[in-house]
Formats: sequence, C-alpha cells, structure tokens
Amino acid sequence: MSQIILGVGDLGASKAPGAAVKTFALGSCVSVILLDPRVRAVGMVHVALPESKINLQKAAAKPGYFADTGIPKLLEEMAKLGCNPRGQGMIVKLCGGANVMDPNDTFNIGKRNALAVKKLLWRYGMGAVSEDLGGNFSRTVSVFVDTGDVVLSSPGRPDWKI
Amino acid sequence: MTITGSQGPGSDAMTNPDIRQQVQAAIQQAPMLSVSAGKLMQITSLADHDIKDVIDVVHNDANLTARVLKVVNSAAFGLMTPVVTLDRAITLLGERVVVGIAIGDSAGHLFQKSLTGYESEKGDLWRHDLRAAIASREVARRGRADVSADLAFTAGLLHDLGKAFLSDFMENTANAIIERIENRDSADYLKAEEELLGIDHAEAGYMLAEYWNLPQPLQMVIRHHHYPSEAPEEFRPLVYCVHLGDIVSMMGGCGTGADTLQYNLDPDYIRYLELAPNQLAEVMLEVDEEFDKISGSIAESKENNR
Repeated sequence: MSQIILGVGDLGASKAPGAAVKTFALGSCVSVILLDPRVRAVGMVHVALPESKINLQKAAAKPGYFADTGIPKLLEEMAKLGCNPRGQGMIVKLCGGANVMDPNDTFNIGKRNALAVKKLLWRYGMGAVSEDLGGNFSRTVSVFVDTGDVVLSSPGRPDWKI
Repeated sequence: MTITGSQGPGSDAMTNPDIRQQVQAAIQQAPMLSVSAGKLMQITSLADHDIKDVIDVVHNDANLTARVLKVVNSAAFGLMTPVVTLDRAITLLGERVVVGIAIGDSAGHLFQKSLTGYESEKGDLWRHDLRAAIASREVARRGRADVSADLAFTAGLLHDLGKAFLSDFMENTANAIIERIENRDSADYLKAEEELLGIDHAEAGYMLAEYWNLPQPLQMVIRHHHYPSEAPEEFRPLVYCVHLGDIVSMMGGCGTGADTLQYNLDPDYIRYLELAPNQLAEVMLEVDEEFDKISGSIAESKENNR
C-alpha cells in the first residue's frame, strides 16, 4: 500500500487505489482532509498557523504551513487529479487544534488554526461534515483512498474514526 | 493508590518507596557526563562568561573538536567555503549548539531511549528536547527575560531527562493515567506519575542533575519546569522560559507520547516575560525552521563519524 506521509506544513493528494495520506502528531496544528467521492480522490494539508502574513517567504516555500495559503494549494493539487478546483462536491473533515491544559486559553493557536481553516473553507462554500478538534492530546491521522475512512490515533488511547 | 500497570514493575507487587529507591539506584548507575560537557555547562551558565573559555574547552577535546567542525561543515549549514578553525566554527554555530553537541554525545543513550512507559518511540525524547531547547531560547530572547538565551537553550535540552528513568516503571499505565486526568482525579501527568510511583519525572531529572553536578540554574529548571512558581525567585525567569518552551514543543506536535499536552500552563509567566500570545506563533515558526537545520546537521555529522 502506498502511503504519502506529510510533515508539518506539507500537503498531499492521491487517487491511487490502496493509497493513504498520513500525518503524525498534530498538536495545535490542524489537518484539513478533503474527499472527492466522484473522482475517488483524497487530500490532506497539515496546517501549523492561521495566517501567512507573519512570514510570506515561508508561505511561498511551504504554502501548506498556513491556513490561508494551504487550502487553496490543496484544492489546486486535487484539481490536478480531476477534482473540481473550487471544491464542489467534496467532503471536508477536520482534526487537530489541541492545546495544553489552560483554563484561560492563553496560547489558543489550536483554536485560531481551526477558526482560520473554517473561515477559509466558508469562502468556497465548504463546511466540515465531521471534526475532531481541540482537547489536550496529539493526534496522528490517516485517510484511505479505497474507503474514504479517516482514522485517528493517539498514544494511550484506542484508535477512532471521524 | 488506584492506578497500576497491568504488568511489569508498575504492578501491585511494588510499593511506592521501592520504586523511588529503584529510580534513584538507576540514576546512580547512569554514566557521568563527559568532562567537556560538564565544563561547558558550568561556563555557559555564568552570565558574564567569555566565549574564549568555551573555545578552550572544545580545543582540549579532540573528539568534540572533530564533531563541532563536522557539524558546521555539514550540508545543513550550507556554507560556501569549509570552516577549518574552531573559533570560526563556534562563532558560526553559537555556543548553545556546541553545548548541545557535547551533551548529545555524552548522554545520547538517554535521549535516544524508547520511552515505552509513555508509549513513545525511540528518538521522540531527543526531538522533543531539542525543539524545547530552541523554543526556550526564543522565548527568552523575544520575551526579554533577564536570563541568557543560551542557558535557556541548554536548560530546555535537559529538562525532561527524568523520563528516561521513570519510563521503565510506567509500562501499561498510559491509558489509566489519561482517564484519571480526564476525570480530574489527577491534576496533570506529572501529578499522576507522583501518585502512581511516588516520584515524578521532574524529580527524577533533578536527582540526575544533582548526580551530574549540573549548575544550580539547570537543576532548578529540571525540578520545577511544570510548576515554575515553586522555584526559588531568582531562578524563576529561566524556569518560566523552559516551561513555555516545553509547551511550544508539545504544541508543535513533538511530545514524548501519552503525556503530550497533559500539563498545565502557569499564566504567571507574564510577571517575568514580555510575551504576547500572538508572539508564540513566531516562536513556533522559528522552532520549525531551526530544528530542521540543527537536527539535520547533528545527525549528518554523526553518520559521517561511523
């Protein structure tokens, strides 16, 4: 089975039968997963921060690092596989956006990432059908081309699907 | 005590004082730091030290000299012309990287240990600690803390070594600990360790720091990094830098397994650091950039050594 492994700020898409796209250990990062049932393609971007304006050079080198540059780039990649470039007909799933235990939510990067991702998706008229965001734990996530399953794992917890 | 591992030394047969003593015994068996690493930490923990003293220590250690030159000349640093003198190498790398190489070389077996008790993989501890080191330095620098940014780096690198000793006693406990924290029976992973074993990783690390005779500021960081307000006042700025550096490392997805993000943020850092919440994004970005550079170069130079 071919597996595309994404690091922080990477994105990838596939429609190869048997393939999977995977990213390890999302902390405050958010993974945006797009599934196109018509083309039978899946894609994922591992977003680290909400806005590219804090470092445009980084955004140019690694567009997936930021929500505002990562999602358009992922759609572009998926369009190469024959998907609609505006994301029409796609299913969206989101996960990640965790935080350390902090009642005041001081460093709410996880929450801000999730919000930035959602705002960007709204611009395309897209919304998540399922999400697993927040909490105080890291997540590893895989999406499988054949089934469209999105499987999550975290040390010390049983695996789960969204 | 209600949490027990389903097997292994964390099971019912063991009582807390036994585990505490066993951890202590394991620490007493740990190899000492190299003389150079010890000296470098002593020198760089002083606020007004001279870089010449750092160069002298490296100069007198042929292996370390070779490693420093290999790191600076590795592809990750992308220098056009090779560096052949130690002075220039250390200036280019910065003393924190030199201290990092010396520590990594002499305590590599601890950093590379698989923390199976935390359900963590081999290499995770080194990655977490190196990212925490870079983050602690950035927090010190950007937060205008009254501490040496290089010392914050070293402290960040060492803060979690206690886990290498505790892990063996925590097999098959992660699930139960997480449940306890979620049910609010334990305040965080550190408290759960203490409740389970009678000792936590901060204290185990502190025992190691004493055994290694590390400078006092480093001992205090290791002991208090999760509860900085319990450190003596004079060390708190440094301890808060590492407290945040540790959190940044975990938020960036580099924890040490089941305990990742299962700790509390102490909001009193604002008394010691001028760090706006949005500056944390800049720190995270810097950590990602520099981590790739440093870890790549250190790994590469090690491979060349083989």
